[in-house]
Amino acid sequence: MMLDRSTRSTGRPRTGVARLRTVLAFGTALATMALVTAPFASAQSDSPDDEVVLRVGVTANLDHDNVWAITAGSDWIVATLQYDMLLRFGSEDLAPEPSLATGCEPNEDHTQWTCTLREGLTWSDGSPLTSRDVAFTYRFVIDHDISQYRSYFEKGTTFETPDDTTLIWNSPEPTFAPDMPPYVYIVPEAVWSEHVGKDRKEIRAVPNTPTIASGPFTLTSHDEGQGWTMEKNPHYWGEEPAVDRIEFTLYSNQEAMIQALRNGEIDFADGIEPALIDSVSGLDDVEVHQVVSDWWLNFAFNFGGQSAQADPLPALKERSVREAIVMAIDKQAIADKAYSGTAMPGDTVIRPASSYWHLDIPADEEIRYDPEGAKSLLEQGGYVDGDGDGVREDPSTGEPLEMVVPASTDTTGAVEAGELIVGFLAEIGIRVDLRPVTDAKMNDYWGAGNFDAYIWYWSGDPDPDYQLWIFTSDQCGNWSDGCFADAGYDDLYEQQRTTFDRDERREIVFEAQRRLYEQIPGIVLAYPGWLQAYRSDRFEGWTPAPGEQGYLLPGYNYESAITVRPVAGAVTAQAASSEGGVPAWVWIAVAVVLVAVGIAIARRNRRRELEEA
Amino acid sequence: MSSPRRYVGRKVLQALATLVFVLTVNFLLFRILPGDPVSILARSQRLTEQDVAELQHELGLDRPLARQYVIYMGQMLRGDLGVSLLTGDEVAGIVASRIWPTLLLVGLGTLFATIIGVWIGVKGAWRRGRGFDRSSLLASLALYSTPEGWLGMLFLLVFAGILGWFPAGGYVTQGLEGAARIADIAEHLFLPVLTLTLGYVGEYAIVMRSSMLDVLNEDFVTSARAKGVPEPEIRRRHVVPNAFLPTFTLIFLNIGFVLGGAVVIEAVFSWPGLGRLAYDSIDRVDYPVIQGVFLVASVGVIVFNLIADVAYGFLDPRVRGA
Amino acid sequence: MAIADADAVAPPPASRRSIVWSRRRRAFAAHWRTFRRNRQGMVGLGVLSFFVLVAIVGPSIVDPAAIEEATAPWPLKVAPAADYPLGTDRYGRSVLDLMIVGSRISLVVGFTAALGAIVLGASVGITAGYFGGSRIDSILNGLTNWFLVIPWIALAIALAVVLGATLFNVIVVIAVTSWASTARVVRSQALSVKERLYVERARALGAGNWHLMSRHVLPNVFPVLFANTVLMVALAILSETTLSILGLGPTNAISWGRIIDESFSAGAFSAGLWWWLVPPGIAIMLVTLSFTMIGFALDEVLNPRLRDR
Repeated sequence: MMLDRSTRSTGRPRTGVARLRTVLAFGTALATMALVTAPFASAQSDSPDDEVVLRVGVTANLDHDNVWAITAGSDWIVATLQYDMLLRFGSEDLAPEPSLATGCEPNEDHTQWTCTLREGLTWSDGSPLTSRDVAFTYRFVIDHDISQYRSYFEKGTTFETPDDTTLIWNSPEPTFAPDMPPYVYIVPEAVWSEHVGKDRKEIRAVPNTPTIASGPFTLTSHDEGQGWTMEKNPHYWGEEPAVDRIEFTLYSNQEAMIQALRNGEIDFADGIEPALIDSVSGLDDVEVHQVVSDWWLNFAFNFGGQSAQADPLPALKERSVREAIVMAIDKQAIADKAYSGTAMPGDTVIRPASSYWHLDIPADEEIRYDPEGAKSLLEQGGYVDGDGDGVREDPSTGEPLEMVVPASTDTTGAVEAGELIVGFLAEIGIRVDLRPVTDAKMNDYWGAGNFDAYIWYWSGDPDPDYQLWIFTSDQCGNWSDGCFADAGYDDLYEQQRTTFDRDERREIVFEAQRRLYEQIPGIVLAYPGWLQAYRSDRFEGWTPAPGEQGYLLPGYNYESAITVRPVAGAVTAQAASSEGGVPAWVWIAVAVVLVAVGIAIARRNRRRELEEA
Repeated sequence: MSSPRRYVGRKVLQALATLVFVLTVNFLLFRILPGDPVSILARSQRLTEQDVAELQHELGLDRPLARQYVIYMGQMLRGDLGVSLLTGDEVAGIVASRIWPTLLLVGLGTLFATIIGVWIGVKGAWRRGRGFDRSSLLASLALYSTPEGWLGMLFLLVFAGILGWFPAGGYVTQGLEGAARIADIAEHLFLPVLTLTLGYVGEYAIVMRSSMLDVLNEDFVTSARAKGVPEPEIRRRHVVPNAFLPTFTLIFLNIGFVLGGAVVIEAVFSWPGLGRLAYDSIDRVDYPVIQGVFLVASVGVIVFNLIADVAYGFLDPRVRGA
Repeated sequence: MAIADADAVAPPPASRRSIVWSRRRRAFAAHWRTFRRNRQGMVGLGVLSFFVLVAIVGPSIVDPAAIEEATAPWPLKVAPAADYPLGTDRYGRSVLDLMIVGSRISLVVGFTAALGAIVLGASVGITAGYFGGSRIDSILNGLTNWFLVIPWIALAIALAVVLGATLFNVIVVIAVTSWASTARVVRSQALSVKERLYVERARALGAGNWHLMSRHVLPNVFPVLFANTVLMVALAILSETTLSILGLGPTNAISWGRIIDESFSAGAFSAGLWWWLVPPGIAIMLVTLSFTMIGFALDEVLNPRLRDR
């Protein structure tokens, strides 16, 4: 190369400096972002004075802060913590117990109920809470036909409020709704009266943060996509909670939530997927709590009749074929594999969480797992594999026993269970075409009836009425899974609806469950649990509901949020997180390395240029 | 050669045409293809048939397609992106609240990836075939080949989990103010930005390197050398600026792809950005929100491309005539 | 190579077709010789051959019942042992078996999606380039530029949500979102080829559009296309992984991306089952890396300008 010495020498020093500057600038840029955080992070102010903060991790978003719009996710947790019902579900077995009202008494024929409210109730803004608020709330539900609460009120129901603490409920038909109790949260008339008469969509969209409510905590702020905060309600009528504030952090995946629990960024993790039980159960100072199931995984047969497209397999009309399918399915394997052992094998359609109403099928009535028995049952019915392709044919039509089975990808364990069922039914010569689809598509199948069976879920209310209702024959095309129709069952449903003695009604509810178990409109595959975990080194004194195996954080009432308290002398999450973070030595090492590399590069370049010169 | 003003004008017009195209795709995608957004709600909210019909009416799904299109375009012009099927909130508001975190993440990630990538590319190409070049090329290829989501998972599990050095996810710890808040955001930013940086640094290094090699072959470099311009001067004055231009365009063109990586990274690190919003909305089949994210992301890319085009045009006047 | 050498001394060919073919064979042989000298390319080819072999042979070795959730033979979630060298998953399936079966899906998605994208991109690019400057060109070019701008992930998410996540749909989604860059490259190549003298001459001799495009433009664009395809496969495999991690991958097939998704959502790593999360990521990295290495080598082989430097 032909290069002129003089220009070259003038160029060198400048580039050397420039390069050094680039290297340092780059190093600083990288380091600032990180380094800057270290000193501040440890200087992070702990919460003012000795506020007790409970940090809760969730993976389900808070979609609605407005009770009229509640659907799923964390909506219920927030509503339950901040609102009261007229009577509430008891912690023991969800039986009604005093809440805003101390009790409700019916007249002789159950057409008029008189409820007595506590004295001196107030909303969280200090204004009085009276029976007029209760009547307003119920009328609001009726007048705006808010479907998820509407069913508690017979057509033509009226309310009277002779004084601040008395509510009279007049029903044209005998009813036991007030004592169910109605799952309707009482809202302040002062807040909602301006929305009377709007259409439902507008009502659902009314923003409601910060909230005025009557429960122990109220929602004070919500950062979309990040989390929300609930503060203690100073005017709460009951016992004062030990916790001052509950902060919810939203994680977009389970692993992140569990790592946060492990490292003490949060004190409580809600809704841990069953598959992750092994990830939490081994953690130090973390207690895992398995909640009794309040939903069930449903393998529902289709009997047809929804629409012209509904063309289910005729063989499924045979009870013996359905029974053979029940016998071929290993429910225990589903509980173990699809739910990592956190579910119970299912039997009846009333979930175990409603322990008063749930019937445990006695052992001698149980249809057991018995693939050999299933095969011979099918043989007896003439279902044999004539062409040797491994799939039996229907003797009356000659068609193979092939089932189209959509499974909901939005339901925990549904697809996994479906994949297991493909294997189980292949054993007995029934082919399953499993179709994992979102709930949107499930709805299409459900509406059109173009499936042979589907795998989805039901949850139901604490009271069994709703869950039993959906199996009645007039629900075809409405809530019924696959248009199951059985006159005997319909009678049982009507009977329980008009029986006012709780224990007497229970016997009929049991009979209805037994009838469904025998008639097999579908298979209750599993009662999946719900997993919660908390830092046992920080908090104690939880009150699970329902019963010992209930939710630690609200499922049905807020009692637990009142009784939970910090373990004496415990480090809170906030203090812990400021202790955590990257150890100082790492930062120092990073800084040293960066500077060293920078200097080395600069020196090498200078040397190289000298050599080249 | 056209005047700068005409050049910019043409580019803006092109961008507008693209915008109309994106709007149309956005419209068609969710109406012509199968799947009815309304039926989704029916079960979860226990809607009656009448509710469903009402909702369909509100969403305009019961009108002829051409009419729907006109209404839709009108709404877009007013910035009305509809309401979320799930929360009933304005989509425009939801989406707007997520733009800043994504800009922060993608911006910092791109910035670091560019600085480091360009530096590696320049150094490697300048001393082609030497040790640094070979090892950095291999490393770049390896980084380019690594799925960023998977890398993010490993970082989450090792640095936030086992070592506990960084928060496991989220944007900021609640209840912090001022400097402490900024520091806390930086702590939360570290792992996602690191993942994004590593995900793209390889690509940018490779591009910068090959573009350097292209320029090094150019006549003006040879003649500069013949004239005796010192090597560092050639590199700094002639090669790097010329080689940086195509890299610069690529980086801007790539914003769309970086957004793709950001979706996964935001999902892994619970980062409350656009990508995470899209991810959550897929799960809950919230069509209007998915549409909103699609639209905003596309508009973002169009704007960045426009900026790149215009900047390119000014940096390299030859382009303006083309 | 033997064939090429034989051709070199072969007697004058009998037909036009065989002239063309022998010329192509010779060109291929020359390229192959250059490629063989490229160490990076050869390493990539070696790694890729291994995975392709696994994908072809592997799944037939694995007992289908062993990767069936209901009939998986091993204990659930256990550490590697002789019978299952990469441990087992939550159903008691051997992770190695899953990896072997998944290799086929990952490669099939990669190849077919890339092929789809290339065919689409090349047709649009060649047509646009061939009719350069005309109305057709400006329409096609506009379309290409539009698709370049749409963030692929957003379109992919939208399509996957609307169409549903089956193997076929995932392939379509990836192809539809990645053809535009190919079209752009091919168009500019075609534009320059079109101007060459012999193409002009053929046109003067009355050759039709189809003939010109398929006989003259396409073969000349082919080298660029080939290198592009290889890189596109790498991108397609990465895209499939991204979609799978987002839960939008093919639900009816096991791919490496899906194994990553399943293990992450089952908390594999934090439960200490690193062998369930780490290997699929490494496999994806190796395959993608081998494709990019081959792609870069091809670029140098087919693009002599690069070789000179």
